[in-house]
Amino acid sequence: MSDTKDPNVSSEKSAEKKQKINLNRLDMPKQDPEVRKRNFDEVATGYTHEMAMEEASRCLQCKKRFCQAGCPVNIDIPDFIGAMRKGDLDEALRVLKTKTSLPGICGRVCPQELQCESKCMLEKKGAPVAIGRLERYIADWERTQGAIKVPELAPSTGKRVAIVGSGPSGLTVASDLALRGHAVTMFEALHVGGGVLMYGIPEFRLPKDIVQREVQYVQALGVDLKLDTVIGINYSLDELLNGPFDAVYLATGAGLPMFLGIPGENLNMVYSANEFLTRTNLMKAYLYPDYATPVKMGSRVAVIGGGNVAMDSARCAIRLGAQEVNVIYRRSRKEMPARGEEVENAEEEGIIFNFLVNPTALVSDGRNNVSGMELIRMQLGEPDASGRRRPVPMPGSEFIMDVDTVVVSLGTSPNPLIASTTPDLDVTRKGTVVTDEKGKTSKARVWAGGDIVSGGATVISAMGEGRLAASAMHEFLTDGAKKIIPPSPAKA
Amino acid sequence: MFAIVAHKELAPKVHQLSIEAPLVAQRAKPGQFVIIIADEKGERVPFTISGWNPEAGTVDFVFIEVGKTTRQLAALGPGDSISHFVGPLGRAAEIDHYGHVVSVVSGYGVSAMVPVLSALREKGNRITTILQAPDRDRVFGEAEIGAVSDRLLFALGTSSNGDSMNSSATLAMRKLLDKHPRQPVDRVVAMGSICLMRLICDMTREPGIKTLIHLTPLMVDGTGMCGACRLSVQGKNRFACVHGPEFDGHEVDGWEVLMARRCTYADESILQQGFQCRGCSQW
Repeated sequence: MSDTKDPNVSSEKSAEKKQKINLNRLDMPKQDPEVRKRNFDEVATGYTHEMAMEEASRCLQCKKRFCQAGCPVNIDIPDFIGAMRKGDLDEALRVLKTKTSLPGICGRVCPQELQCESKCMLEKKGAPVAIGRLERYIADWERTQGAIKVPELAPSTGKRVAIVGSGPSGLTVASDLALRGHAVTMFEALHVGGGVLMYGIPEFRLPKDIVQREVQYVQALGVDLKLDTVIGINYSLDELLNGPFDAVYLATGAGLPMFLGIPGENLNMVYSANEFLTRTNLMKAYLYPDYATPVKMGSRVAVIGGGNVAMDSARCAIRLGAQEVNVIYRRSRKEMPARGEEVENAEEEGIIFNFLVNPTALVSDGRNNVSGMELIRMQLGEPDASGRRRPVPMPGSEFIMDVDTVVVSLGTSPNPLIASTTPDLDVTRKGTVVTDEKGKTSKARVWAGGDIVSGGATVISAMGEGRLAASAMHEFLTDGAKKIIPPSPAKA
Repeated sequence: MFAIVAHKELAPKVHQLSIEAPLVAQRAKPGQFVIIIADEKGERVPFTISGWNPEAGTVDFVFIEVGKTTRQLAALGPGDSISHFVGPLGRAAEIDHYGHVVSVVSGYGVSAMVPVLSALREKGNRITTILQAPDRDRVFGEAEIGAVSDRLLFALGTSSNGDSMNSSATLAMRKLLDKHPRQPVDRVVAMGSICLMRLICDMTREPGIKTLIHLTPLMVDGTGMCGACRLSVQGKNRFACVHGPEFDGHEVDGWEVLMARRCTYADESILQQGFQCRGCSQW
């Protein structure tokens, strides 16, 4: 930039002229920890109308849209907040929906503190506008306005697109392409749409009726959601391409749980976080026996891992009635990948954090039920490839922790089903699909995004990748681009 | 929704349902399974496919009434439907020419083994089947499995002294193995209670007869996502839903744990007919 003056300062000054800076960032009301740890209702209850309007009024409406640049799906943040400030919630919703079909989800689960809010001018003063909470407010307001309103779709292009997987990335591509006039079919292996939003993220962070409402919105755009259909089994990728579809987007996620590789990990009451969360959330075990799936859990639960999924598992365990829930993490608090807000929530709910310890074995009660966990203390050594200091075991420091349930939350790896049935699709050694920066895979007419490409990231990054891929797919599907990317021989 | 086109009661508390599911019927292979959900509040339950008809688009499975879901299914008939039906899941059974194949079946395995034996027979194998049941009255599927076997041996009853629940099938197996290798047993396939399959594997290990077992551990999603169905095979974690459900029984280690895991949800889930829990996590 040739201008030596910091543009932030100038826009801040001009904004200051227009309005007094208000640094009173409004907290969102939350259920009391002692109450919420006994129910699965949403922890944060959302802004009231007055709170939303007051928070919106803090926005400086900067000309330079740093917040928008910080959004992976490029939401016109100053515009939607601007509309709120004028009291035009319909317009705020319209602005949001031009860039996201999932505002109720994004408003709840995006790490705004690392994205839009981290770029807010008021962040420098320690009180960024609560953009995520405002987005959520608008999405929740829409739910009180009756039937889903569908924007005008572009005229039909006559092109057909298959989306494999109905998680955040698949939903984003589905809605982007449907809005542009393509006929979209979305395949889902499970019995409901939403992917990780349904089976992974718990009810108390992301109510399932909100997910379903946003899935229904995408369906209302004309997207045909086919449940109980496994690509790689019921149809191969090549069958989709040789059949009615002009292009395919793979968004099958990273579903396979990783385990410890230590003795005793298959004992009874040792769960993968995926199983524990799937039983609890997707299958609604917390409503057992009204819902038929149970989840068995003892009173002393250990959750191994320090990510968001570990926090979700620990907080489900306490709600299911555990007496004591210990999080076991091999590095220190600083290196924990979980979102700060979720760690705070977990602590408020009485979750105990154990840092710099690593499990070395699980102990049986003699009848193949887990009854204890051997842990070794760790210290931090030199930084590793991730830039975080490597945890090193301290010999002789082993000790036993009494536990009767263990949840292993060490991450997931991609489901190999499609790669193994599609020989000409390039995958990495880890099993993730190789793509260019716009999501194009090595295979003609096939794009991919979300965790199947990244190996495991956030809802919004999966959506961001979907947005880029959808643009590239649209370009390909409309005439001009066909000259650039030739269709595969089978199609021609 | 998936329509039920037929319901047959094969024996008291043993049922066969035929479901209209063309996508599954087109792709089904011997030894694969489906996951069903009876209604929107239902659990995901795996069942091995016992037959299918790609032209009619129907898929059959056999189950024993033991828990909430199976009782619910038992009450359904033509005109009713179930909410979800997905498959065929898992890898197909290994089918090739081996020579003399001995199959050992009990419970739902009597029906679910039929497509496997049928495919093995098409490859020119000679099949001897050992069918275990608690008593003659509770034998079912005899005609169907008999039709795909060259010889059908009944192993009825369980020992009363409590030493071994499966003494009769192992006795029949012992007789066959006594004649091996003069009258060779080239391969064993087993589908039935896990303790029966374990005992059979123990018997065939020493003579080195490859023994393939069909495992149905607890599952939730059935597509490799939850890891509930994991077991240790040659020291490596394997998922029955995607790496199985057929495994080389001699490569399975950690039987104790595998059997115990089967019992985690035993009171809410499926127990074999005639099974008595001895509090030992051993079945």
